[in-house]
Amino acid sequence: MKRVLLAGIALGAMTMGAHAQTFVLGMKGPGAGNPFWAAVEAGAKAAGEEHGVEVIVVAPPQESDVQAQINQIEDLIAQGVDGIALAPTDPNALAPVVDSAIAQGIPVVFVDTRGTNEGVSFIGTNNQVGAALAAQYMCDNLPEGADVAILQGLISQSTGQQRAQGAHDGLGECGLNIVAEQPANWDRAMGLSVTETILAGNPNIAGIFASNDNMALGAVEALKQAAMLDDVMVVGFDANPDAANSIVAGDMTASIAQAPDNMGRFGIESLIALTNGETIEEWVDTGTVLVDASNAAEYQ
Amino acid sequence: MLYSPKLSKFLESYGIILVVIVMMVVIALSRPEVFLTPQNLTNILKQNATLALVALGMFVVIVTAGIDLSVGSTMALSMVTLALASRMGLPWPVVLLVGPLVGIAVGLVNGIGLTWLKLPHPFIMTLGTLNAVRGIAYLVTNGAPISGLQPEVRYLGQAYYDLGIFAPPAGIPASLIVVAVCAIGLWFFLEKTSTGRHIYAIGGNPQAARVSGVNVDGILVLVYVIAGFMAGLGGLLLAGRTDSGFPNAGLMLELDAIAAVIIGGASFFGGRGTVLGVLAGVLIMGLLRNGLNINNVSSFWQMVLIGIVIIFAVWIDVIRRRAAVRR
Repeated sequence: MKRVLLAGIALGAMTMGAHAQTFVLGMKGPGAGNPFWAAVEAGAKAAGEEHGVEVIVVAPPQESDVQAQINQIEDLIAQGVDGIALAPTDPNALAPVVDSAIAQGIPVVFVDTRGTNEGVSFIGTNNQVGAALAAQYMCDNLPEGADVAILQGLISQSTGQQRAQGAHDGLGECGLNIVAEQPANWDRAMGLSVTETILAGNPNIAGIFASNDNMALGAVEALKQAAMLDDVMVVGFDANPDAANSIVAGDMTASIAQAPDNMGRFGIESLIALTNGETIEEWVDTGTVLVDASNAAEYQ
Repeated sequence: MLYSPKLSKFLESYGIILVVIVMMVVIALSRPEVFLTPQNLTNILKQNATLALVALGMFVVIVTAGIDLSVGSTMALSMVTLALASRMGLPWPVVLLVGPLVGIAVGLVNGIGLTWLKLPHPFIMTLGTLNAVRGIAYLVTNGAPISGLQPEVRYLGQAYYDLGIFAPPAGIPASLIVVAVCAIGLWFFLEKTSTGRHIYAIGGNPQAARVSGVNVDGILVLVYVIAGFMAGLGGLLLAGRTDSGFPNAGLMLELDAIAAVIIGGASFFGGRGTVLGVLAGVLIMGLLRNGLNINNVSSFWQMVLIGIVIIFAVWIDVIRRRAAVRR
């Protein structure tokens, strides 16, 4: 009896949901504990309220759990949702799931991380443009010909490659002298060690671009130890709260903020457009913002 | 070639030091203007202090023919808990103790789990804690780093003494003194105390040790506690150095530590190895990375070369021993 009642309630909930359109936001990790995903979720929810559609947010319980995400998306496809905005934990592993959604007429867009499926739009940061923005800031604030270094992320990842490339092109084009480009694998301790090694060989360095804030904060520690922080500008990427604190304290010089709320918002709005038969661009840039002493307080 | 027992004995004990010296000469020739600067030499010492501590702990475990895969996770948990304690405003002497105590606690769990549950191999117990402890480190921090420690807590990881002769940032790092004290203490413990000799005995032949009245289980627990303590102390140094407790710290560190111990001449089958060899093993890995970095060699090549060095170093050891047996 109880089971029948429960089934009835579940069925009722599903048919009720069918009145409004239902869109899914599939994130890489839970919003609780990661401000980035919390902002993506908030953006998507806000867009859902404004447009009067229901937004279901799912994420693997553990960041980047590929199998859990595949299961979640498969279950939602089976329930017959109206569209999926997906941040794939592993683009290749999720590709078959995305294909099967499209085969059943469910529109899909990728947010945050580009997938491998042909013809599926991507809504996220152009990391190369963001790194170029950081490079431009360094060019504007350093004398021409000054020695600069780049701390790269994992260069086997597309994000690492794009940020390294954007910085390399930007710093080179405006006439700064790139003396070292070394990977520090997104890691604070490695950022510190690599910077120490760079400083040993290049005492005249005037600026360091780090492909994320963790490495930039490691570089700041190395420069503090060498008593060179006053002479060297450190620019990071991500504008996480630690980095914002450091910028406010006058240690780090600047960082680049992504717009995660835009990813959630544009993701849902793109799905609405697609279900209305409109077409959207192949890549919707959610934009990047330069964060320095003037606006760092907003990111603390 | 003339066979000299004296030379053979010398090479047996100090051959690994010769390898270190040869590496230093080669790197110095490749970048003479950078490698031998006080700043670069200081860098090598402070960048490898944490690995040295963790490797010393791993060494004691490997002498018993065991293995501790959990040391990287243990170090991360120590770092995040001491950073939390620091943020909560606990007095700095308490915060200093938190890291090593967390390490000891994980070591106790490893040792007791291994001996009490009678698991067939320490690989299994410590593979379990590798995962569980890393998970706890993520849980207590929600995956985010905790930055900003008291200056007193940072001291051991960050301070250095210029002794009035070096220009900053060169000098004798405080972390080097921590490593030296631990290494000498461990050497004394292993060589000069009966418990220390029992550790070697267990590695050589646990059955024989048990029959001759050695408390094998008790000593195994002690050994994993030492490894945990060293990982916790390493965490204190790294947290001090980076001014942060981050839950991603020390990923794959256990493999670097094992590599350093093995390069340093310890046997995977237990009963053999020296503290001096472990320190040389750490230096060989550190010198290799530094030499490749200051020559701007790609990190992909560094991985390939470190892999080759591990295999090559142990192969040399095998050949040397076979030659010694034949004589």
